[in-house]
Amino acid sequence: MREILLHSPTIGPKRTAMQTARICGWTLAMAVLSCTWPALAQKPNGAPGQKRPLTTALTGKFPPFSYYDQNGALAGFDVDVSREIARRLGRRPRIVTIEWDGILAGLLAGKYDAIVGSMAITEERAKQVLFSDPYYESGAQLFVHRDNPDKIYGIAECGGLKVGTVLGETYQHYLDQHHPGIEVTTFKSSVEYFEMLDQKRISGFVTDRLVGAWQVKQANRPFVPVGDMLYRERIAIPVRKEDAKLLKQINRALAQMHRDGTMARIRAKYFGLHATSQEDDSEGFSSGTAFRKLSKGFAVTLGIAAASLTFGFLLAIPCALLLTYRNGIMAPLHTAARTLVDFLRGTPVLIQLFFVWLGLGLPPYRAAVLTLGINAMAYMAEVIRAGLMSVPPGQALAAKALGLNWLQRFRHVIWPQAFRIAVPPLMNSVVALIKDTALVAVISIPEVIREAQSIISITFQPRKYYLIIAVMFFVVTFPLMKMAGLLERRMKQKGYADA
Amino acid sequence: MLKIENLNFSYPDGTQALKDVDVDIPPEHTFAILGQSGSGKTTLLNCLARFLTPQKGAIWLNGQNIQTLSGAEFRSKVGVVFQQLNLFPHMSILDNLTLAPRTVQLRDRRDCKASAMGMLERLGIADLANSYPAQISGGQAQRAAIARGLMLQPEYMLLDEPTSALDAKTSDEFADWLRELRDDTSFIVVTHDLRFARRAAKHGIAMRQGRVTCSGTLDELICDIEQ
Repeated sequence: MREILLHSPTIGPKRTAMQTARICGWTLAMAVLSCTWPALAQKPNGAPGQKRPLTTALTGKFPPFSYYDQNGALAGFDVDVSREIARRLGRRPRIVTIEWDGILAGLLAGKYDAIVGSMAITEERAKQVLFSDPYYESGAQLFVHRDNPDKIYGIAECGGLKVGTVLGETYQHYLDQHHPGIEVTTFKSSVEYFEMLDQKRISGFVTDRLVGAWQVKQANRPFVPVGDMLYRERIAIPVRKEDAKLLKQINRALAQMHRDGTMARIRAKYFGLHATSQEDDSEGFSSGTAFRKLSKGFAVTLGIAAASLTFGFLLAIPCALLLTYRNGIMAPLHTAARTLVDFLRGTPVLIQLFFVWLGLGLPPYRAAVLTLGINAMAYMAEVIRAGLMSVPPGQALAAKALGLNWLQRFRHVIWPQAFRIAVPPLMNSVVALIKDTALVAVISIPEVIREAQSIISITFQPRKYYLIIAVMFFVVTFPLMKMAGLLERRMKQKGYADA
Repeated sequence: MLKIENLNFSYPDGTQALKDVDVDIPPEHTFAILGQSGSGKTTLLNCLARFLTPQKGAIWLNGQNIQTLSGAEFRSKVGVVFQQLNLFPHMSILDNLTLAPRTVQLRDRRDCKASAMGMLERLGIADLANSYPAQISGGQAQRAAIARGLMLQPEYMLLDEPTSALDAKTSDEFADWLRELRDDTSFIVVTHDLRFARRAAKHGIAMRQGRVTCSGTLDELICDIEQ
């Protein structure tokens, strides 16, 4: 069972730029900020000797198992179980939220100790990790529209019809294997297939029985479960293979919780007769809370974008010089820069992010700024290189004839002309980077789109919240684009373009 | 005194552009280097400007080999105005003039501005001070480029094909203007425009196929070329 919200990388246009000095000052400030961020990053391994916190991971987007309540605090069945286990182990609970598709990789890379995120035991997963005893059981359930236009009363009647699942969940795999006649349509989250079923563009969806029932009620949609459960799933807590001792402790804690009624109490809180107050809480996700969450997420987005841009722009200038000049001793450096830029531009940013985060083991914020920064560098360096190449060689020669040394020629004659030519395309890089920042959600950074998805997973109002985000981005990028246009016109008036 | 001694230059592709060039250029007001395209006159200018290094021979400026001078010292003694002028398009004419005095000679900004305005007035283009290169005519740009070079008060100023972008009337005006310009700087004009050369200069050399074929007054040179 599981919910995956993978963010679509959006790429856009835009950018500003005027006085280099002003930009440099602004960017330097951001660079300093970016250096302080890593301190916020979660690290499971504390100093040896003292009792480390028990760090567990979940998505925070899988209500009622994990979600953010109206106060913006993490809540849910998995959250409570996680805290209870930590308590029984005598360790401080620390919960990390992360995208579902990166959650196992993060565990294997030692980013946290365990996943208490409603993970079903599967053979494939068991090859990589150790699973605890199951802490609850559920199963796959087919839901259809109450009008039931396709007259479906069980999974057997779905042949040739479209059935929705979330990409990467076990249901998709199960349907492919056991019901090959069904046209399985995958979505990024339940929110999307709820919309699709509401519009009757799919015939039904398969999800966890408990979660599905909760979501249908929450979203107030006319969907009903039909037929028997497709299969049962045992939900357990995975740890790394070398952590057998931790596994033992977790199993002991789970056994105690089952025995002394704690588990039943937590279950009742979210699914039982007394669950109503809890559900009402999340339903009443106030717009104030939502707005606070979104603003916070957007501040993170802009912070990462600004730090990455500063970092990228400062590196882009020397990189562009290496790309432009290839004579003599510069030749090997030119080749190195060219290879790096081609590699960065030729591989998906998402993969680079994972590589820096998991491969190099950097904390999330540092990994985000480094990855987005060097990407910005690659694209900006190409733009600046084109700008440098478009300055006629006679300009440098004339400056040389006046006695200016290399640095003076670059600073006073070449750079100002190249930069003016590069401004409009640089704007595009800036806007693209601001929008690319949405990608960092996959490495557990709570940027704005991730925050919105967590709100939508409770409110089931994708249109409203995605529109708000679009407006937020536009409010930032529009002035940048306007500024680029203004600069371009001003340059034309003075005749830079054709002088 | 600028003395060119046994100068030889070949391009990397083997083309020998200068062959045993010997010339004495006295510090007189305007000296012409005449020749058709391919005669080697532009190569000679590039050697004089130190943009090219000859394989053989030397150029002496007041008894010193120009290759032994520091960059800053040489540039303060020999200026260049290019055929394309190469004014800096992102700067006003005034800023074009003050750039080198400010950055190379490290002179005070206000002082530079005052002397640049003085220079523009002397050259009759003071009203262009705040214009940008793209906003002025070819003839005005020509004068602005010369003004920029003169700001460093060089002993010699090399002008490469100064009339190539000017019509006949403007070219004549420019020649008269250059002749009447009262300045300590000596101009060396590289041109294939005989009419302009005769109007602007008294002495010069004629070149053909990398060699100096004649040296003397303009009338003598033109006589030689026409043969």
